[in-house]
Amino acid sequence: MSIEIRNISKRFGNFVALDNLSLDIPTGELVALLGPSGCGKTTLLRIIAGMESPDGGNVLFGGEEATHVHARERQVGFVFQHYALFRHMSVFENVAFGLRVRPRKARPSEAEIRERVMNLLKLVQLDWLANRYPSQLSGGQRQRIALARALAVEPKVLLLDEPFGALDTKVRKELRRWLRRLHDEMHISSVFVTHDQEEALEVADRVVVMNRGRIEQIGSPDEVYSSPASPFVYQFLGNVNVFHNRMHGGWAEVEREGDAPGAGSIAFVRPHDIDLDAAPISGGMKAVVSHVHRIGPLVRVELEHEAETIEVELTRERAANLELSAGRTVWFKPRQAKVFAVGAAPAPAPKQPFLF
Amino acid sequence: MFPAAAKRDGVLPGFRLGLGYTLTYLTLLVLIPLAGMILFTGQMSWGDFWATASSERALASYRVTFGASLGAAAINALFGLIVAWVLVRYPFPGKRFVDALVDLPFALPTAVAGITLATLYAENGWIGQHLAKLGIQVAFTPLGIVVALIFVTLPFVVRTLQPVIEDIEAEVEEAAATLGATRWQTFTRVLLPGIFPAWLTGFTLAFSRAIGEFGSVIFIAGNMPLISEITPLLIISKLEQYDILGATALAVVMLVISFVMLLVINLLQWWAASRHAKSRDGDAPADAADALAIAGGRP
Repeated sequence: MSIEIRNISKRFGNFVALDNLSLDIPTGELVALLGPSGCGKTTLLRIIAGMESPDGGNVLFGGEEATHVHARERQVGFVFQHYALFRHMSVFENVAFGLRVRPRKARPSEAEIRERVMNLLKLVQLDWLANRYPSQLSGGQRQRIALARALAVEPKVLLLDEPFGALDTKVRKELRRWLRRLHDEMHISSVFVTHDQEEALEVADRVVVMNRGRIEQIGSPDEVYSSPASPFVYQFLGNVNVFHNRMHGGWAEVEREGDAPGAGSIAFVRPHDIDLDAAPISGGMKAVVSHVHRIGPLVRVELEHEAETIEVELTRERAANLELSAGRTVWFKPRQAKVFAVGAAPAPAPKQPFLF
Repeated sequence: MFPAAAKRDGVLPGFRLGLGYTLTYLTLLVLIPLAGMILFTGQMSWGDFWATASSERALASYRVTFGASLGAAAINALFGLIVAWVLVRYPFPGKRFVDALVDLPFALPTAVAGITLATLYAENGWIGQHLAKLGIQVAFTPLGIVVALIFVTLPFVVRTLQPVIEDIEAEVEEAAATLGATRWQTFTRVLLPGIFPAWLTGFTLAFSRAIGEFGSVIFIAGNMPLISEITPLLIISKLEQYDILGATALAVVMLVISFVMLLVINLLQWWAASRHAKSRDGDAPADAADALAIAGGRP
């Protein structure tokens, strides 16, 4: 079922959580709401679920007005970051809950409930845990049970609030691939909230990047990463080096942030878009290596250039060829940069995460 | 390498000292006096004991005492739940003040409570005169005893439930709502089972306190033998007549009945808790194994 969000606003006291926001979620898509904490993404999800009511605007489900429909009647499945399983119920009863609370007429028979619950538990590969209690399960298992519970009522929309936020990295990676496959099999619309850009880029059909109650950009994972619409999106999706003003062609002209403001533009350069060489290269700038971090397949190098730190990512091989070590002099040259005129696009807020 | 540490089976020190202290303390304060009382009744012949314990007046007093206590505890269980719920869940002006009011029955001398209630509910009292028009007499009847016991035991249920209600995550209720549960279903199926053990504890505390209550009851009860005389009062009146053995006999009967009832409630509580007690201990399996399980199979 498609979801339309029209001019939704929500305030909490003086804090504007959502600022006149509109968004269309077509049927069958897996959409990620991505943004830093406090950007309003969870509030938006809760408004879609009917757990929060907007101060203004409308929510339409499949074209029908649903702004004031109670959460109970929306037919949404909701998965919470901290699972919110019913502690005193077994895994089986947790999943069966949505079926058991139906009015007598709509309630399936006991045998039917049993069959459906066991099928769902098989789907999440936890049928062998049916008689356990939630606190006997690991985090990843609990979240899968929570998902099975949400799916038991055959929701038309599945909403997930930072579903893997409380899990460790390995489980998180497995679960998100698994969520992707599950979504494709169930043919429902899914919306999930995350602050983890990698998660959003990997799983979603479309990524909605949010900041301060507004949408910064909507697009496919590839679009938002390779052609960010604003400095905020650029900084939020991946690591970035920021260069301020005096951007006209020659890289020698570029200065780093902290210079006198007033000039025209900001340039963003991804750490993996910078070339390094041990010998002087044309158009290159001289710098001294201050740190070398080996992170799995990548080597992250911090350079000192005129008292500024620049981050560069290289492959292991390339780093070995260059024989990089702290104190060495190297030449660097950005392969490509994205330039935003200051004023045309909002300048990045100082509090936003700078992933240096 | 650490031979001393290896012998210990727990991380926390002082198990032996702690247990020893606990047992000594309970023995000195509870077990010895109670055992002494029972031994003391050994001076009576069985026939004498039985005659005293099952006299008409004694039997009536048991009924009044346990009946009124049960009634008061049950009423407080219901209304205490509401009070605790409101105090935890809803913000309202003067909440702290109301919260402090709950403890007052603990602090007030029970005799003062008894006299105040008796005055209020007497036929010419503020409340009593209105009730009298409806033909309801509270003061100097068993109903008065129930009122006094409700007052005295009010804090127990409220105070045991408050922290447990505070512990309920709002998300659990929201989860129930999105799954289609009505408010009533959410309350009875999701919230109530969670607070039930604490609720029972509050009920038990209120009930036990009510059985032993003396000060407030004697002022409002009227103390008519066979009608509104509680067992503690009967014991006192026997003592006043220097019938110490008779008094102890009644005390032993109360002790046995109380013990059996508390045991039953405790068993009930244990049963309620054990339904999901398994879930409290038990280590969660490692997440890594979990990840492998997913990786290995198809969703």
